[in-house]
Amino acid sequence: MKWWQIKKRNADLERELCSDLELEEEEQRERGVPAEQARSAARRTFGNPTLIREQTHEAWGWAPFERFWQDIRYALRQLKRSPGFTLTSILILALGIGAVTAIFSLIDTALLKMLPVQNPEQLVEFKNINPDFPVDDVFSYPTFKILQHQTPALAGALAFRKPRNIDIEIDGHSGLAKGQLVSGNYFSLLGVRAIHGRTILPDDESLPGQNSIAVIGYEYWKTRFAFAPDIVGKHILLNNVPFTIVGVTAPEFYGLQPGERVDVSVPLSMIGSVDPVYAAAGTPADTLKAPFRNWLHVIGRLQDGVSRERATSILRPIFTQAMREAAASLAGLPVDSPSIRQSYLHSRLQLDPGSQGLASLRRQFSKPLWIIMAVVALLLLITCANVANLLLARANAREKEIAIRFALGGGKGRLIRQLLTENLLLALGGGAIGVGLAYWGTGSLLALMTQGRNPISLNARVDFTVLAFAFGLSLLTALIFGTIPAWRATIVDPSHGLAQNRTQGGGAGAHSRLGRSIVVLQIALSLVLVVGAGLLTRTLANLRSFSPGFNQENVLLFSVNPSIIGYKDVVPLYEQILNRIRVIPGVHLATLSVREPLSTSASSTPVRVQGPSVPHGEDLASVAIELAGPDYFRTMEIPLLRGRDFSWNDRDGTPKVAVVNESMARHYFGDANPIGRFISIPGYRGDSSWIQIVGEVQDIKVHDLREPATLMLYQPMFQAPEGGATFEMRTSLDAAYAQTSALEAVKAINGRLPVYAVKTLSSQLDDSLIQERLVASLSELFGMLALLLTCVGLYGLLAYNVNRRTGEIGIRMALGAERARIARMILRETLLLVACGLALGLPGAVFASHLIASQLFALKPVDPVTFSGACLVMTAVAITASYLPARRAASIDPMQALRTE
Amino acid sequence: MSSTTKSSPQRANLLQGTLDMLILRTLLYGPAHGHQIGKRIQQTTNDFLQMQHGSLYPALHRLERRGWVISKWEMAPDRNREFKYYRLTEKGKKQLVVEESQWKQMAEAVARVMWPATEES
Repeated sequence: MKWWQIKKRNADLERELCSDLELEEEEQRERGVPAEQARSAARRTFGNPTLIREQTHEAWGWAPFERFWQDIRYALRQLKRSPGFTLTSILILALGIGAVTAIFSLIDTALLKMLPVQNPEQLVEFKNINPDFPVDDVFSYPTFKILQHQTPALAGALAFRKPRNIDIEIDGHSGLAKGQLVSGNYFSLLGVRAIHGRTILPDDESLPGQNSIAVIGYEYWKTRFAFAPDIVGKHILLNNVPFTIVGVTAPEFYGLQPGERVDVSVPLSMIGSVDPVYAAAGTPADTLKAPFRNWLHVIGRLQDGVSRERATSILRPIFTQAMREAAASLAGLPVDSPSIRQSYLHSRLQLDPGSQGLASLRRQFSKPLWIIMAVVALLLLITCANVANLLLARANAREKEIAIRFALGGGKGRLIRQLLTENLLLALGGGAIGVGLAYWGTGSLLALMTQGRNPISLNARVDFTVLAFAFGLSLLTALIFGTIPAWRATIVDPSHGLAQNRTQGGGAGAHSRLGRSIVVLQIALSLVLVVGAGLLTRTLANLRSFSPGFNQENVLLFSVNPSIIGYKDVVPLYEQILNRIRVIPGVHLATLSVREPLSTSASSTPVRVQGPSVPHGEDLASVAIELAGPDYFRTMEIPLLRGRDFSWNDRDGTPKVAVVNESMARHYFGDANPIGRFISIPGYRGDSSWIQIVGEVQDIKVHDLREPATLMLYQPMFQAPEGGATFEMRTSLDAAYAQTSALEAVKAINGRLPVYAVKTLSSQLDDSLIQERLVASLSELFGMLALLLTCVGLYGLLAYNVNRRTGEIGIRMALGAERARIARMILRETLLLVACGLALGLPGAVFASHLIASQLFALKPVDPVTFSGACLVMTAVAITASYLPARRAASIDPMQALRTE
Repeated sequence: MSSTTKSSPQRANLLQGTLDMLILRTLLYGPAHGHQIGKRIQQTTNDFLQMQHGSLYPALHRLERRGWVISKWEMAPDRNREFKYYRLTEKGKKQLVVEESQWKQMAEAVARVMWPATEES
């Protein structure tokens, strides 16, 4: 007997009961009972046929299922009967569930998801923990080679250089792509296959300079090659060096760094070809030979049955030995110094879980994402409270129906289950629409996140995990908003419930007490959200008005990288570009620097000072180095405190000079004048010659606005050029016009030179605040929604109460109460609710603001302005919500009210 | 579920589980339909065991689900109508033996507690 045969089975039972009942009737008649009474007599002996039917169904063994089905059908009918209520509840729930699901899908993609590779849980990320190095996750090639073959601990290890811009020329058209250098076993160790051709193989790492093959990513194949079928064997130029494409990787694989997409991978033995300046092949600093050049990220796969702890303890002594060799290998080099050797000996190996790839995105986004998650969770609670209140009001309206059902013998458990089923349907409806909202919301959120200076390409989509989450969340939501109303609705005395007039009576008072508590809770939760949103918005405003140390208005930036198209001597080119853009009408000043302002942190190097300096013992204070062109400080409007700006004469062949910032001057020279003093930076490019300080400037923010002051040293770009540069133009021109003119100027010099990152300095500043903007605008949005929902909830409660008290108000008026007094009464009730809500919410808000204290800028967690503002806003919203009900109460006509009584 | 129907003092409520045994035993005489089974149990016990159809039909369906009886619509010999006749299966017969012996043990155990003297003599 299967459940789909239920109809047949039911008909059969019906026939059986009928025939037996008829027989009983016949027998009654035969016994002499009059015909008209026989039927009812038969029924009496037989018992309640409906009950028999139900009990027999129980015996069939799938009664629970059948009951559930019944409940669902009944619930659907009930919901259809009040479409307004149903629609409102579902939409409110969709909002809450959708918001939480959207944020969850981001968190899942950015923080929780494992890499789409074979057995990702076996992967470990190698960390090079060192108090002296700012970067803790790179290793040298020789060290990697030593670690790679430690088979007792590892099934293998791969290395790669982080993806960076690479010039790629295809059929004569060049463009920029993200390229990474990988060890030969990269793909095989991960178990990533090629969907066309082959991946890079271990043999491809063997011959430095000769393994000119490349593998491209699926997305890149799609966007740049439009799925060209003849992709394998295609010849391309990478940084002007010929390569052959040998394969396309599987679509799900984006690389090992979540949030970043790799377009091209080439064997790391090709570093000398694609980045000759950095590779320094043939010198003692050769990237493929020098044990002290740390540049590779290393990911290992643990041997079967070996734990991370065990592997760490096996690998640590080997790593320490390798570091000793690295320190020794410095011998005879200009970089060598006891303190630098010491820093290698301080290095310690650490293995982190690597199943999700490199951790940088998680570090960057985990805090903001969790904050937003907390925000949307609060929002969901508020929506639950709203729906719970709607349900309470509805339960009141349904009191009669429920009383009838009790009177007809409905069990209490069954009734509660029935009501819960209705709630479940509401929640699932809300969940379904919520998933749609989440799908749309995730898209817009990703679009927001990809605007920043480090565009993030996340592969977030609504997948099985997200759907399962949304489903579970809907169930949970139904429990939260539905349990109490369902339980409350069934506290009905049948006789009372049937008899009573709906405008008065005991049940209603209790309902509205519960309703009031829910609204108080809602106000409290909203206060927490509004305070949070206020703090984050004020933080953003503070950051925006905070001066980074330069004037970000009216500056246009663009970057070039001549070395990737084969320029060896870049200075003449830079001079040419500068000379061209300086003369564009409307451009006041122009200069260049090696890094974009407010972008990546500068690398730091220890400094040696000639003559007396403030003693710092063994402390290796590192100094960030920036290379800057002529008129740099004038163009950026960085205040010059002493000495001079860089000029066109600071070039190769003239005495080496430098400008220091205030922090550095104070660190090394105290209050003494640093101008004219000499320093050297032996760790930087191995050049330990003396450099004279010619200027001192005010500190600026280098990476982001929250960072503490950094020690900074500026060197003239033309004395120590690098392969790439960013040009800064101070101009009164319209940004778009200035941009076109600048690009034309560059094109006139060399049409093949890729120009990228064209933007204004103020937009760059905005980009550096992307996280803060994201968090602030989302919490504002959700805070508004919370206010709106609370307002609606409060309005609903008050309107309902006024309606219920029509009679009472009528009597009051008949006894002489003025209309204003009635309105004040409603207002008083509102303010009492608000006061309770605020009293409950304030401790929560204080707690929450301490949780986000680290995200705030120039604000105390308990910021009096924000807190009092939030309380005012809540009160204002409450008064708005009470306006209509109060007016309605005041306009009650006593005669009419008493007549309806 | 509901305890609203109260049995009169002279009529005992069927002990949980014994109804199955009684039905199986009744069917040992030959196939019968639901009404007959109820009537037979009632008559055999001189109306002491009042059959409630509310428990009879669920029990019959339960027995059928377990494979102890099978059912078939057949013409009644005395009336010109079809009734659903239940018939004991081989499995049902074995079950009856099991239940009978269990009931006996149970009855003896109860008797030993209730009338210890009679047992000793």
